[in-house]
Amino acid sequence: MICRNRNISRRSVIRGAGATLALPMLEIMGGRSRARSSAAGPVRAAFFYVPNGVVQRSWHPDATGRDYQLSPTLKPLEPVREKVTVLTNLDRVKVAGTDGHAQAGACWLSSAAPDELSPAGYPLKKTIDQIIAAEVGKQTAFRSLELSCNPYEDNRESIYFDNISWYGHGHVARSLRDPKEVFNRLFSVKDHVANKSVLDVVLDDARSLEHELGRGDRDKLSEYLESVRTVEKQIERVAKRQNEIDGLKIAPPVKPWQAMSRSEFIQVMGDLMILALRCDLTRVATVMSSPERWGSPLTVHGLFNKPVDHHGMTHGQGNARVRSELESLDRFHVEQFATLVAKMDKIEEGEGTLLDNMIFTFGSGISDGSLHVYTDLPTVVAGRAGGALDAGRHVKSAQGTPIANLWLSMAQMMGLGLDRIGDSTGSLKLG
Amino acid sequence: MKSLTWVLLLAGVLCVPDESQSKPFDYHSVRGREVISGSAGLYEGESLVMKGTSRIQGMRHFGNQWSGDSHLLWLGVIGDAMETEFPIPAKGNYRLVLQMTTAPDYGFFSVVLNNSEIREKVDLYSAQVALSAEVDLGEFHMNEGMQKLAFVLKGANAKAHAKGGKQYLLGLDFVRVTALDTDKKPKTGPLPARPGMSKPLPADFQQVRAVLSENCFECHGEGGTVKADVNLLALSSLAEYAQHPQLAKKLLDVLEMREMPPDEDDELDDADHRLLLNFTNAVITEHLGRDNRLPKVALRRMNRYEYNNAVRDLLQLKGDIYPLPEKVIRSFGKYYDPASGQLPHSVRVGNRALGKNQIEQHLLTGVSPFAIDLQSEHGFNNRGEELGFSPIMMESFLGIARSLLGSPEFNGYTAIDSSFFSAPGGVPRGVWKRIAKDRLTAFLEKAFRAPVKADSLARYLRLFNGMIDAGADFKQAMKEVVCAVLASPRFLYLIERKRDNAVPLDNYELATRLSFFLWSSIPDDELLSLARAGRLSDPDVYGKQVERLLLDPRSKALSENFARQWLRLDRLIAAVPDFDRFEIYYSRIGCEQWKLGLQTMIEPLLLFESIMVEDRSVMLLIDSNYSYRTGDMVTWYKPGVPFKGKANRNRFGTNGLVYTRQPVNNRREGGVITSTATLAMNASPLRTSPITRGAWVADVIFNRPPKPPPDVVPEIEADDAKIEAEGQTLRQRLVEHQVNKSCVSCHKRIDPLGFALENFDAVGRWRDEYRSGLKIDAKGKLFGKARFDDVVGLKDAIINNPEWFFRGFCEHMLSYALGRALEISDKPAVDKILSDALATRGRFSAIIHSVASSYPFLHKAPEKEKE
Repeated sequence: MICRNRNISRRSVIRGAGATLALPMLEIMGGRSRARSSAAGPVRAAFFYVPNGVVQRSWHPDATGRDYQLSPTLKPLEPVREKVTVLTNLDRVKVAGTDGHAQAGACWLSSAAPDELSPAGYPLKKTIDQIIAAEVGKQTAFRSLELSCNPYEDNRESIYFDNISWYGHGHVARSLRDPKEVFNRLFSVKDHVANKSVLDVVLDDARSLEHELGRGDRDKLSEYLESVRTVEKQIERVAKRQNEIDGLKIAPPVKPWQAMSRSEFIQVMGDLMILALRCDLTRVATVMSSPERWGSPLTVHGLFNKPVDHHGMTHGQGNARVRSELESLDRFHVEQFATLVAKMDKIEEGEGTLLDNMIFTFGSGISDGSLHVYTDLPTVVAGRAGGALDAGRHVKSAQGTPIANLWLSMAQMMGLGLDRIGDSTGSLKLG
Repeated sequence: MKSLTWVLLLAGVLCVPDESQSKPFDYHSVRGREVISGSAGLYEGESLVMKGTSRIQGMRHFGNQWSGDSHLLWLGVIGDAMETEFPIPAKGNYRLVLQMTTAPDYGFFSVVLNNSEIREKVDLYSAQVALSAEVDLGEFHMNEGMQKLAFVLKGANAKAHAKGGKQYLLGLDFVRVTALDTDKKPKTGPLPARPGMSKPLPADFQQVRAVLSENCFECHGEGGTVKADVNLLALSSLAEYAQHPQLAKKLLDVLEMREMPPDEDDELDDADHRLLLNFTNAVITEHLGRDNRLPKVALRRMNRYEYNNAVRDLLQLKGDIYPLPEKVIRSFGKYYDPASGQLPHSVRVGNRALGKNQIEQHLLTGVSPFAIDLQSEHGFNNRGEELGFSPIMMESFLGIARSLLGSPEFNGYTAIDSSFFSAPGGVPRGVWKRIAKDRLTAFLEKAFRAPVKADSLARYLRLFNGMIDAGADFKQAMKEVVCAVLASPRFLYLIERKRDNAVPLDNYELATRLSFFLWSSIPDDELLSLARAGRLSDPDVYGKQVERLLLDPRSKALSENFARQWLRLDRLIAAVPDFDRFEIYYSRIGCEQWKLGLQTMIEPLLLFESIMVEDRSVMLLIDSNYSYRTGDMVTWYKPGVPFKGKANRNRFGTNGLVYTRQPVNNRREGGVITSTATLAMNASPLRTSPITRGAWVADVIFNRPPKPPPDVVPEIEADDAKIEAEGQTLRQRLVEHQVNKSCVSCHKRIDPLGFALENFDAVGRWRDEYRSGLKIDAKGKLFGKARFDDVVGLKDAIINNPEWFFRGFCEHMLSYALGRALEISDKPAVDKILSDALATRGRFSAIIHSVASSYPFLHKAPEKEKE
């Protein structure tokens, strides 16, 4: 599992600087991945979240199976259509008592059944990405990677709006928002190794502290213990791959994210994720393209000449002009996803490409933003899961099929021996 | 059911103000803390009114002897004068002392006070840049108000060299005014008598049931109709109510807010309302009396702001460890000095919302903060349940500690470099380990806020010894240990040791809760030594410590951490009023980047700080006759088109603005509800958003947040021009959209609070009518009880029913202090704090003392085994 040097012939920089952005990244990522030099690479899972749902009438494809027509919003997927699966009629059960948007984002990947409520009232338990990471992350330097392209600095909403990945209820897997930080985390090997002796001390200290605490606090402290252990393992595994990583000769992103356009920001984050997946530094990743609701206006460069409030627009879609603007925003998000999918498909791996070994899911926890409903959630899965996924189709499930069925199928495709997740009623037939 | 009578006797918890008062109470008369002479009149040069060429100059690179690390710098030719002003709070005799800067290109000056020369010559020449000796100008009689002070450039020392051939400079570090005998004491409001408590009405359960039957059963029980899961009919005896405290709490909430019955025509009359309220209170009290469960405060990690303060205080750093956007106000001078009893008349501050360079300067290369901890849905960002830990957090803490201790500036940034980090001079390497042991014993106690256990000490010592054995020098090894300390769970978490039953916190735990409440930081040496001696829990000692912490400049954390979050001020940063319609909100024509409106973000915070420092009534947050504003903001608040005729508004400063205390004569201004910042942040780009504003008032001011909105929210046009074009006001359109009873009951509560503010447009400026000429209807009823016609009427309604706002404020403060959400069992504590607030007319320090001495603050809950 080596990212071979010759693929990166000259010193490459993830610039994040307008037109020059894509080129050096493609160079790094083009060519042959050495995730596994001869055999097919491992199957990897990634999730791309879009908040506030999508305009329904422009989302749904008109037929099922292989001969379906991509809907207007899904049009950007045309170039990768053969490696993409569109899924409809997948639902989540909405639980009363907590905010519709908060629950939509925080519980999208949750493995909790609707009657398993956290003390805060959310059906929120370990999310599917973390369930998979707990197993497949045993073999990689980083157990999982959580990224967010949340551009807001006004801290308007609570953690439930800003996170899709959770270790358990009340225990969020915090995401990184700054591409530079992501870069440093993945590639600054020396910084990691220097901390080994310090970690030993604090781990001891934490263990001794356990005896002084009651049960509830011990549970809370276990988050700390678990984190220290994970970082320790990370250090060992990163150290083993030190030479390889040094050999990558890539420089951190230059442009601050605050100065990036929306698409630059999302693409740079996506590039970093792809790089990590390609080099097999991790096999599970989540990216939030934007946090849920957050009714603050946002500039979407090149799309609107004024900042727009995505959430506010979903409530104005009765108006034809607002609806068509919202459709273009939906399409923008699909484009961002499609661009990342296309990049994955350019990276050779085994007999195919990285994409062939991916399960890369695009989705939202709400279907219709104006109604706050969780039925028929917009869902697209890119990749072939190493052959386990028969792509190029529109799969329409029976009405009322829990989306947990999809998560269960994924877990199985990732090699986990599970037969049930939350309210799942069985796995989807995707092979 | 006769036993109910005694229950009702317990129910005197809802304080109703004495309505026989003929004149409303003037909350401005509440002035707890007296102006302390001496430090009261310390006016930093950099905070003085600046005219002509005067500007601020940072002085740090010349040394750290300048107060506030900066001074006022002026430049002119002979004959010119540097002019400024400072305020005097009351007529009387004062001593005037100057602290000047001297330098090779400074001139000599005469000093003029209120147009008469009081000193012939002050020579500011010196071969090197330095502080002068203090210049004692003598004693002067001054009247209340602004005093003019001028320095006339008369010439220069023969050795001085002029700038540009003929100009000389002046540097003023501060002016100190000491009151000798003032003709009148500063205004201290006489403490009003405690308002009368309402006597519980004699009632029995049958009476209560009759009222319920008449007004509530139809929807909540009869014929199987059970709306909102509330079946009151099924509760056929008092005992059954007592067994359903949650239901009783629901009943209490809707009664307090007059939310039910939902229809205007069916409202309860006052006697019935009070009967039900007392009954419900009694049920809750009865329940809590039998089953007093103190909720557990979850083990919580420091948040980003607290971590900064804790590291700063532990390592005695000169400033912050990383740039903190949480600090909205960047202070140039040390204007915040609660011991002075007076917030300065004018303050020069930076506003971080106006640019990244306005974040408190960071002096350490390479140290960057972790991501901010987000606030709870209706609370603060200090709750253990939400302050999680993850591998990324661990990496962040390690990274911060390493970059901090390793930064090139660190050794000069900490005051304990020689006493702690450096090896003592002339001591052989062989005794380093023993010295380290002594030093670490004291250091770990402070870092962990607990007695140091032998095994814990040994652990950190082993790390030190291992480093030394491997050839490291003393400082390297010490830094490695500190790196581990700063990432240790004993440092990062606020730890309260397990108990089987509810007991008072131990002394160390109490010190920690208190310092995190008032300073957002670890206890200092004095608190720790009291804790060590077991004396902090002595009520007298404790009370004095609460006061001491409040008078310490570190109490600014209450503004930076509590007030900012309480008001949700961050929202303003993202407000984007439509550029074409509200161009005045922006600084520069044709430029959407610079928002003049962001200057207003500081206004509510400075009001809050003045209330803290001057120990005034928190009611001024509703209605104040003064406010801190920049010159631009004074213009902004004036009616009519502001900044008229100025083709280019490029001139708006962003680099440190002077906020001056302005009298507010129009009661539609003043306080936080009607400040531009909160009004503008709760609007949408093209129009006001009365529901958002109303929900904000309900949540922030009264701590009664509305329930989450229903799934299907009717669409309202984003632009009010379109609504008005159809001859409708926004209010009419919204009312039209309330389709069913469940909408109505909630909106009845929120809407009036938002519509009362309709006279303020989407950027918070006053308007008499809508743009289309349609009339604005701001009428409403507060909690179904107090009618008002406009926003001034709303303020009167709040002032005349002080328990509503005081309760909200006290609940927010207690929740912040505890780091958890409040529960029913906190009700007796809240009632006690509320009654203290009412008795002192909302005096800030009284509320803080009461919160800090409340039962839930002083005690910890038993550890429940898993149920």
